[in-house]
Amino acid sequence: MTCLEVRELLPELAVDTIAPDDRTEVERHLRWCAGCRKEASDLGQAAAILAYSLPPATVPQELSERVVERVRRATGTTGTPRRARTVASAITAAMVAVASLGWGAVMAGRADRFADRAEQAQRERARAIEQFQKALSPLSLGTDISTNDDAHLGQLAPVAGGTGGAAVLQLVSPTMLDFVFVIVNGLGDDAELLPYRVSLSNAAGQELRAGRIDELDAHGGAEVFRQFKTQDLTGFSTVTVIDASGEVVLSGTVDQAP
Amino acid sequence: MEALLAGNEEAVRTLYARYARPIFTLGLRLLGSAEAAEELTQDVFVAAWRKAARFDPSRGRLSTWLMTIAHNLAVDRLRRETGATRPHLVLVDEVPEVIGADEDEPLIERDAAVRALESLSDAEKRLLARAYFGGFTAREIAEADGTPLGTVKTRLRTALIKVRRANQDKERP
Repeated sequence: MTCLEVRELLPELAVDTIAPDDRTEVERHLRWCAGCRKEASDLGQAAAILAYSLPPATVPQELSERVVERVRRATGTTGTPRRARTVASAITAAMVAVASLGWGAVMAGRADRFADRAEQAQRERARAIEQFQKALSPLSLGTDISTNDDAHLGQLAPVAGGTGGAAVLQLVSPTMLDFVFVIVNGLGDDAELLPYRVSLSNAAGQELRAGRIDELDAHGGAEVFRQFKTQDLTGFSTVTVIDASGEVVLSGTVDQAP
Repeated sequence: MEALLAGNEEAVRTLYARYARPIFTLGLRLLGSAEAAEELTQDVFVAAWRKAARFDPSRGRLSTWLMTIAHNLAVDRLRRETGATRPHLVLVDEVPEVIGADEDEPLIERDAAVRALESLSDAEKRLLARAYFGGFTAREIAEADGTPLGTVKTRLRTALIKVRRANQDKERP
């Protein structure tokens, strides 16, 4: 689809009346087209304003308890066995920390002030880096990413209404071997979805394999690590997770800016 | 958010206190029953946790993001239940204009929303209501009104842009 064709469909995407086939095409286009993505974002925000215009209904008092319970169950905090490995715990913590970039400030009610939000995001980034460092230490890479400007973080979001997410760490260094470390969480574990493949691509469409996920833990989580002995990862900032049928389930980019 | 992802009760309650009401209200309007609206509200908070990595504050507000999830889930639910290619929603002729005078916790988002809608003509309000609350596609609206499809799409876009701009203007100090 061209930008012109996509933009003609964006109003219907915003109000959720777009045909399923068109939605798939448009969302694929939005993954790489920043201009159309901005327009889609603006129209989506306008549509949400309509929802807020409704006269508020009375919410049943007991609903809050049910919501808390549902989220608690979904997060697996009611007795779901946790993996015991230290590395795995650090990885999970890193996933949580990275996924929360920008959210912490919102939750703390400080989102109104950009400076506060930026400061909070910076703190959380440092924390995520620290957690990644702990997770990577058994691999003896000989580098401290917490002080390394060549370490870059990114997040992967679900595609086409899917679930889950991923945190990505890339080392793109002029002096050391580049590597990518991807931590996924919340992926579907149906047999037909496995194995998942993780790949990196650049603007020219060149693709590199980062790894393969053959099994998931109880939280739909797994991690992939690959060090590249000859390949420079500069520009390979788009990261995708693809299921066994070839469908992209997670996608996102790593900000490689220094 | 870290606390929310970990299932921290206090974090969930904080988010709930701020956003449950508009989400429940939208669910009630689109799904037509309190029971369905309650289920939708629960689904939205679980989805927010699962999709947390997708939220980017630089691209929009948390309130917008949550409401987009809510509308999308409600429409999906209607499609599943009816097996229809588009939701069978109750058509409202106009976007509501009245703010409840007895509302004890007025939401900034709603005040701003109502003011933003004042920038629209009645025809534009009706068009947006048919699409957003009624689930009518541009093609269906075009056929019903005897208007060219391209014209309906253009008007839909124009109306959304007007709302967005009016809302931005209201947010500016």
